[in-house]
Amino acid sequence: MGVPKQSGNRPSGLMSSKNQKPIEIRSSNIRAGKALADAVRTSLGPRGMDKMIQGPKGDVTITNDGATILEQMKVMHPSAKMLVNLSKAQDVEAGDGTTSVVVMAGSLLEAAEKLLKKGIHPTTISEAFQKAAVKSVEILTEMAVPVDLSDREKLMQAANTSLNSKVVSQHSSELSPIAVDAVLKVINPNQANNVDLNDIKVIKKLGGTVDDTELVEGLVLNEKASGNVKKVEKAKIGLIQFQVSPPKTDMDNQVIVSDYAAMDRVLREERAYILNIVKQIKKAGCNVLLIQKSILRDALSDLAVHFFDKMKIMVVKDIEREDIDYVCKTLGCRPIASLDHFTAENLVAADLVEEQMSGPSKFVKVTGIAHQGRTVSVIMRGSNKLVLEEADRSLHDALCVIRCLVKKKFLIAGGGAPETELYLKLTDYANTLIGADSYCFKAYAEALEVVPYTLAENAGLNPIATVTELRNRHALGETMSGINVRKGAITNILDENVVQPLLVSTSAINLASETVRSILKIDDIVNTVS
Amino acid sequence: MVSLNPVRVLKHEADEEKAETARLSSFVGAMAIGDLVKSTLGPKGMDKILWGMGRNEGEVQVTNDGATILKAVGVDNPAAKVLVNMSRVQDDEVGDGTTSVTVLASELIREAEKLIDMRIHPQTVVAGWRLASKVALNALETAALDHGSDAEKFREDLMNIARTTLSSKILSQHKDFFSKMAVDAVMRLKKSGNLDAIQIIKVPGGTLEESFLDEGFLLDKKPGVHQPQKVEKAKILIANTPMDTDKIKVFGSRVRVENVAKVAEIEVAEKEKMKDKVDQICQHDINVFVNRQLIYNYPEQLFADKGVMAIEHADFDGIERLALVTGGEIVSTFGNPELVKVGKCDLIEQVHIGDHTLLKFSGVPLGEACSIVLRGATEQIINEAERSLHDALCVLTSTVKETRTVFGGGCSEMLMANAVEKKASETPGKEARAMEAFATALRQLPSTIAENGGFDAAQLVSELRALHTQGKITMGLDMNAGSVGDMAQLGITESFSVKRQVLLSASEAAEMILRVDDIIRAAPRKRVQDRGHC
Repeated sequence: MGVPKQSGNRPSGLMSSKNQKPIEIRSSNIRAGKALADAVRTSLGPRGMDKMIQGPKGDVTITNDGATILEQMKVMHPSAKMLVNLSKAQDVEAGDGTTSVVVMAGSLLEAAEKLLKKGIHPTTISEAFQKAAVKSVEILTEMAVPVDLSDREKLMQAANTSLNSKVVSQHSSELSPIAVDAVLKVINPNQANNVDLNDIKVIKKLGGTVDDTELVEGLVLNEKASGNVKKVEKAKIGLIQFQVSPPKTDMDNQVIVSDYAAMDRVLREERAYILNIVKQIKKAGCNVLLIQKSILRDALSDLAVHFFDKMKIMVVKDIEREDIDYVCKTLGCRPIASLDHFTAENLVAADLVEEQMSGPSKFVKVTGIAHQGRTVSVIMRGSNKLVLEEADRSLHDALCVIRCLVKKKFLIAGGGAPETELYLKLTDYANTLIGADSYCFKAYAEALEVVPYTLAENAGLNPIATVTELRNRHALGETMSGINVRKGAITNILDENVVQPLLVSTSAINLASETVRSILKIDDIVNTVS
Repeated sequence: MVSLNPVRVLKHEADEEKAETARLSSFVGAMAIGDLVKSTLGPKGMDKILWGMGRNEGEVQVTNDGATILKAVGVDNPAAKVLVNMSRVQDDEVGDGTTSVTVLASELIREAEKLIDMRIHPQTVVAGWRLASKVALNALETAALDHGSDAEKFREDLMNIARTTLSSKILSQHKDFFSKMAVDAVMRLKKSGNLDAIQIIKVPGGTLEESFLDEGFLLDKKPGVHQPQKVEKAKILIANTPMDTDKIKVFGSRVRVENVAKVAEIEVAEKEKMKDKVDQICQHDINVFVNRQLIYNYPEQLFADKGVMAIEHADFDGIERLALVTGGEIVSTFGNPELVKVGKCDLIEQVHIGDHTLLKFSGVPLGEACSIVLRGATEQIINEAERSLHDALCVLTSTVKETRTVFGGGCSEMLMANAVEKKASETPGKEARAMEAFATALRQLPSTIAENGGFDAAQLVSELRALHTQGKITMGLDMNAGSVGDMAQLGITESFSVKRQVLLSASEAAEMILRVDDIIRAAPRKRVQDRGHC
């Protein structure tokens, strides 16, 4: 199939020499993927390092979370972009293991590159990897230990494992009970299969240290109280969606003031109008008022604040419309959109509503709510913005870990134990196969070993010695042996309470394999115009 | 001396290519397009990354779908454009075979180039091709099987077709799973073939295997605060009306008042108006109200009081489809409750998929309606899965209409090639050469499929040809084993209408390109630099 010679006019840029291009494209894709994986691999594990990322505007993020690092990196290469997406998908699916999944994908790509050099066709590799992934999930499921949601100790261990690899690891003993309790509060332990993390509201407040982070059974509002009333006991709370400010029509309106007396009257009427609203609110017995933010007009005029102060009513304004749902769910109330509906039965009772200080900022805490819904709030504290943000991300990961356990009630050992076990089982299995599949299975198994290898490397151990010892132990039947990073030795990892949800591992394997397969199948990059 | 200068007929900057040059330029363009998509053909075909430039800088798509690739590349060559359009038509017409049609057309052009080199006139080639395509079509028709009357067998056919279509896509590993899904969805449609009733929702996360088919309709919205979150025996009013304020639409209208109390009065009046509107809406005897526009807090509360589930801000696509599946109409005035058709369904409830919360309408009157939820690791994977599934659905619906099927795996192409060759040997004259060329081009399809799989194409295709000549007309390429196999046993089936369309479009487009002997480029419009003051 000879390529015709280029005609003189208009060389067609689409033509390429036939066999070279796909190979080049493939190796460029693989290289880009590997480079990305190398960028994050040092942050894997409890002794992993953090990355400092400087944003385009000079803002700095310090993190250890794979998904965050990759998102901030703004990669250009298309296949590197797919890895970034992969890490995002793991974040959505499991919430943790976002670094491992990318490291795993990078290692699988490396394995695929070697197989390609042997002359195995990419689709054959792709199919074999898929089979290997299915087999791996089977093996992992066999290894897993069931967990009961009432077993708080086990859940805390899982949260601990996740937190240990973060900046805030020294605070894991404070954060993991918070994560576990928060999730257990919002679900019904007997029949829950999923957790809506929106029911757990995390509010970040600068000041204090991470130790001061607390779980609040009640509502925390990230706004300050407007008036002078800062604390109300035996509160009657009303949530309103109308405004306490001078009237405004939907149409443009103009008040025409023709003389001095009229001006006086306008002022007087305005006072009367607002006073009327405030009085009605008082009449209903309300002493804490939450007001939804309004973009069309002032939610609360200064005059109204003055009146409320006199009546000893605490006012919190500017609650976002999106938060209304959450506030209602927590308080068990309904929003009130017009003054005629403002009656005693639409109010809810709480023991204490109080404004609290945290460094420079304030927030309002509502506790002892009479009919509280299944929601909790967490007040996150940190000495500086970077620590606070990272602590927030870490807590999110821990919450996700617990959520994974609610979704799929199985635990698996951590510390590289499952990967080593997979290596051994898959290699054994590969020996029963014939043809290219056997090669691919072996390569796949070896690629998975990158996890214990990197763990050891990051912990400052000799990776080769560690990985081979690990293999040896597993071959002797100690399926739970893993790298104990704290002690720098190989021990039974279950005794050390290093555990992680099964879902994190299986989803990492599934997602990484799927992405690697789709990268393998690419043989051309076409620039498009829009 | 003036007469010796060439006379310039065309405008300055306009450009003309003549005879040989013109032909060469269009041939090169057509072949380049063919080569571009060639490697995506067949079950072992590769994918391409489409990398956005210009406006959607950095956008990445991964695809195997010929039409999507060709749509995205900007081509400058007129002949290449013809092929791009052809594949687009194929996509609109039958939905699949977009790559095959492009490859076939470009192979025809490649053969034509050789004939032209042999000084055979293009018109002779065209005449030969016409004859050949007629013969090929006849052969295809005789070989086609029709199981339309036998429900059991027909379903088997559909499954096979879906599997064959999907096997060349990203879903190939899960083809049984997705074929069943696609066939189920299409069978629900019965004969109507209205693909609008099948809704595809993409939710990132999870793996492809976690995708599922759900009867009913999913809407990515939430009911308002403090309203029923679950409604049984729902009566749904679908509306497109402002529920924030009924503004007077005259521009610049405003009210002038003397004092603040009057402003307050107007405010109350406006509220009353909204209340009346809500009352009017509730007159329709409904318990669910879906609006395309915003619903403000006040009406939301009024609906909550009446126990009506009110959903705001449903997108346009969403409500049109909702109107279709629930059998309601979209209304914007509420004066005549008795004239309005209200949508119905058995149950509305919230379902969680991944991180999303969706509203599910089940038991809708349009029993055909169903939703497919696609899950996958990355956005690219989900998007490609959607395209693949869409192809499968298109092919299946066209098969439901035209129930004949043919065998795939290069089997039908070989069959047609052999028929054409046989006819060529009986035809006197130069047209016979053109017919032979046509047959060669057809044989390039199985050859490309084999090549993409990394197999010895020449060996396999010649084996296949020999078998067909011996009368074993169900033999084709078995790409899993890398050998020739019986397509009837392997269940590799394709839709007759797709194959016919491939054959006809490709030969027509190739013929069109071949007849070109002059390319004239119009002078570009002059761009005068704008020096106006800002």
